[in-house]
Amino acid sequence: MTLGSILLSGTAILVLLGVGQRVLDRMHLTDRAALVIIAAMFVGGLLPDIDFGLVRINVGGAVIPLGVCLYLLLRAENDERVRAVMGAVVTGGIVYLLGRIMPDEPEKIFIDPVYLCGIVGGLSGFVFGHSRRGAFISGVAGVLLADVINAIVVWSSGISQTLRLGGAGIFDTAVISGLSAVLLCELIGEVMERAARMRGVKAESRRVHDPRKEEDHE
Amino acid sequence: MSKRLWLCAALLMCLLSGAQAEENTFTITDDAGAVITYYVGLPEAGDEYISRQNKHYVVQSVDEKTLTAVAQLQGDYPMPSVEWLRDGNLTQPVSGGGQAVAIYCTHSDESYEPNDGTHSETPRGSIYDVAEALKENFEKLGVTVYYDDETHHPHDSGAYKRSRATAETLLKNNVDAIFDIHRDGIEDPGEYETSINGEEASMVRLLVGRSNQNSAENKAFAVEIKAVADELYPELIRDIYIGKGSYNQDLSPNAVLLEFGTHTIDKQLPTRSTQYMAEAIQKTLYGGVSGAAQSVTHEKTNAQERDKSAFSSIGWILGAVVVGVIIFALVATGSGKAAMQKMKDDAREMTGGLMGKKKKK
Repeated sequence: MTLGSILLSGTAILVLLGVGQRVLDRMHLTDRAALVIIAAMFVGGLLPDIDFGLVRINVGGAVIPLGVCLYLLLRAENDERVRAVMGAVVTGGIVYLLGRIMPDEPEKIFIDPVYLCGIVGGLSGFVFGHSRRGAFISGVAGVLLADVINAIVVWSSGISQTLRLGGAGIFDTAVISGLSAVLLCELIGEVMERAARMRGVKAESRRVHDPRKEEDHE
Repeated sequence: MSKRLWLCAALLMCLLSGAQAEENTFTITDDAGAVITYYVGLPEAGDEYISRQNKHYVVQSVDEKTLTAVAQLQGDYPMPSVEWLRDGNLTQPVSGGGQAVAIYCTHSDESYEPNDGTHSETPRGSIYDVAEALKENFEKLGVTVYYDDETHHPHDSGAYKRSRATAETLLKNNVDAIFDIHRDGIEDPGEYETSINGEEASMVRLLVGRSNQNSAENKAFAVEIKAVADELYPELIRDIYIGKGSYNQDLSPNAVLLEFGTHTIDKQLPTRSTQYMAEAIQKTLYGGVSGAAQSVTHEKTNAQERDKSAFSSIGWILGAVVVGVIIFALVATGSGKAAMQKMKDDAREMTGGLMGKKKKK
């Protein structure tokens, strides 16, 4: 490996760790806890998968992210908890269906399937309560659920294919999906809030300068 | 909630509107209308193509109705020197003596019609036979092969998502390169049939994804393989296509997708080509003699080229991060001044006060 290749891999890992830390930091986790979780995902991804025969589970790509989801669910209030679970189920269903409907070659799709899962998770998180925690849970658990659905369908057709949950560690679709879902949910939320605030300011200015117009609009 | 639901449904529909479901063969021509190559998939403006004669083209326009694309000739592609293959100047060890590569198959159903009666076979297409042959030929050359014959059914858009776990698991073995083995979908077998050392064989297409941070590195690796193969077996490499997509090549700078023939070719031909391909790759990675040796000059020149590609990729990554951070800060705060303050605060928080320090008054 050349020096450039090593630096390139290092940069990619650092960016992923940095984004991951900032995302977790936004979900009622302390700076230190966020850093520890991201580091654990990275190290856990390097460990051998937990082998259950036809099912293999990666520590960094599935066990720790699902653990974070569980922690967030336990910390959430009842309403948010229900919405987050609904978001995850809906994301799982949509991701599975998209996988079946969309073209089989990545170049035919507008965006790489790895990131599309994150977009679906982010949108679900936004729809089901505009919650960062909901988005993360939808992104992570939804993708893993879609993998489980696919495995059940494949097994039922008589093919004994191993189900690898989170097998790519911190680079797994589940982790990337969870992180991008939070970022997308936050971005949409901020844009919507800003738009609402601007509308509010305009309405306010109309009230001050032209009371007649205000009446017309309301 | 219904307002949000409609907004999200509209966003998803927009994303999917660019998708094309059918598997089509596009004819790619030059400005004058002469056919350059065929491509099964969806070419996009900006795709690059390096022909068998090392002519470099960039796709300018695509017409999805007529299944055609026009590519502009950029000139001869600057191929790395392979003088070291001729003069036998093979001295420096490259990878500490250990030679190891990884092989897997994302599309588990791919098969060869003349032998299997179908182009798609479950649970296991005969593409695995070609991968197995490649493995055996690597091993004959003393290369350790980590081969995962796990399937990734079905052959849909989630296949690369599933094979990502396989690829990452293989990479844990500290391999020098990783290859995803496929076969093409071009109808005419004549497009791939060739003769090497007087025997019928199949050409191989190298496919590189340009939608990932390792794209420049992967392209440089593919070009190196072609340069070495062209010197050893000029009929072996069909071409290199650098298209949209990632193909999990973001996981390693030495990752290439290999198309061994097409579905209408006799499987014996691509199977025969695996011995030539294994030799070309082994020499590219480790030089020509058993024991991992390589020309000092060759190593230096290629390392410089690789570094250049890698630093360019690093620049793109950092650029994308900066743009992303600025967009987020602007959206969150609504003004340039407040965005700058937010970025400073975040930088201070992330670096424990090292960056974005407040000036003492």
